[in-house]
Amino acid sequence: MGQLNEIPESDITGAVKVVSYVANKNGNQELVQGSMWSPVDVVNHQAWLEIDKHIGASKKKVAAGRVSCLHYYMTANQMDTSLLASYTRQPRWLVCLHLFPFFFRRLGAKSLKKYGEVFKVSPDDLRHGILKPPVYNQRECEGDSVD
Amino acid sequence: MGSSNHPSITKESARAILLIDFPHLQSAHCESGVAANLLSHKGIAFSEAMAFGVGGGLFFGYLPFIRINGLPLVTYRSAAGHILKRIGRIPGVGIYQKTFRDKGQAMAELDAALDQSIPVGLQTGVYWLPYFPKALRFHFNAHNLVVYGKDGDEYLISDPVFPGPVRCPAEDLIRARFASGALAPKGKMYYLTQVPDQLQRRPLIVDGITVVCKNMLDSHFPLIGVKGIQFMAGRLEKWPERLGRERADLHLGHVVRMQEEIGTGGGGFRFMYAAFLQESANELQDTPLAEAASMLTAAGDSWREFAVMAARICKNRTQPQDSYVAMAEQIRECGALEERFFRKLEQWLKQQS
Repeated sequence: MGQLNEIPESDITGAVKVVSYVANKNGNQELVQGSMWSPVDVVNHQAWLEIDKHIGASKKKVAAGRVSCLHYYMTANQMDTSLLASYTRQPRWLVCLHLFPFFFRRLGAKSLKKYGEVFKVSPDDLRHGILKPPVYNQRECEGDSVD
Repeated sequence: MGSSNHPSITKESARAILLIDFPHLQSAHCESGVAANLLSHKGIAFSEAMAFGVGGGLFFGYLPFIRINGLPLVTYRSAAGHILKRIGRIPGVGIYQKTFRDKGQAMAELDAALDQSIPVGLQTGVYWLPYFPKALRFHFNAHNLVVYGKDGDEYLISDPVFPGPVRCPAEDLIRARFASGALAPKGKMYYLTQVPDQLQRRPLIVDGITVVCKNMLDSHFPLIGVKGIQFMAGRLEKWPERLGRERADLHLGHVVRMQEEIGTGGGGFRFMYAAFLQESANELQDTPLAEAASMLTAAGDSWREFAVMAARICKNRTQPQDSYVAMAEQIRECGALEERFFRKLEQWLKQQS
């Protein structure tokens, strides 16, 4: 297929080799194992930069006290209020309310536990506003596992 | 080719290992890969490309009113579950499917099936699967995999896009099976209950091609099929002025991701479908199909040229000939190539009846 001169910034699949269809000399499509096509790395990288940008903005807002730490966890786990609402089985407006520090501070243990379970953090982390990494980054960043 | 792995049947009660002899063959696309592997396990040799073609997997749709992370839905394949549904309709094939409300019941039924040595297909969300590469952990809920064993608290999984079998803790698998959001799997599990002794391939191939041709050429809806490709080209041309440069680049990157990221086999499934046509051409001793396959490969190459240009723009390494107008032109070219290809297939279909 179209050969490229670009060098991928990083192989997005890590060590995992994926297969894709490549035409051989006779034009027959064959499954070939290898890393992903390099333009994919570029656009995947772009998507993650966008996510990181949102996470950074959210961290600033949390630090400024404009939103609760729930906003950070929601953003870091690529969720919006409706997705978080369906994961926690609550109406969306309630989740929106909990994004305000005023209401979040008054949350009961039950609600905190519910949020903690979704993000794999302890209720105490939420209560004290400790910002832990999103679910897909937790394994390496912490020695001991969270509940 | 992917490595194939044939674990032997063992049942050690001491460590509670349960393994079913399941042929794991790596594939490019999860749903057709699962379908092919499940059929192969039942003794019917079926390639991934064949499952994709018979399942009528090829499609195009640009649906801006459906948003994924605020970006318009672009799809190069038919709706999730479509391939398995069509495979289940093959005469003589029986497929058992169930969704659940209760997590415990869903896992119990999975364990019960494994106990009877039945490999079970699951629909899952990608975000919660710990063995998935970090860079691909988005909230995508239509991923398919096969569970073929259990070792203590871990499930042994044949995930078709991975080179070998993988493991997943039960807790994470529950989360993945009950992921929320668009296309929520609701714990969906399925397995084959029966397969025919003999599979007549010709009618299956003809049927699969008929569905795809109809969707791509005869839709009255301007956003899908060949018309949809032209429509997207028109929209894409105006993105920079409508959305501003930054948003336009994000939209562009999204289109390329849908076209090329894991699960597509490259070129927005076009190369996979070409592989299906070539296999069918061999099976039916039919040269026009082989010619059609090379036309589709050309269309796939054209899509890839667009992707290369788009990647340069997303990376701010534009060359003089790169622009949204040029990309729109490239997509129109793809549309034209595909229209010619599908007209040829349509002619071929007329000769079959």
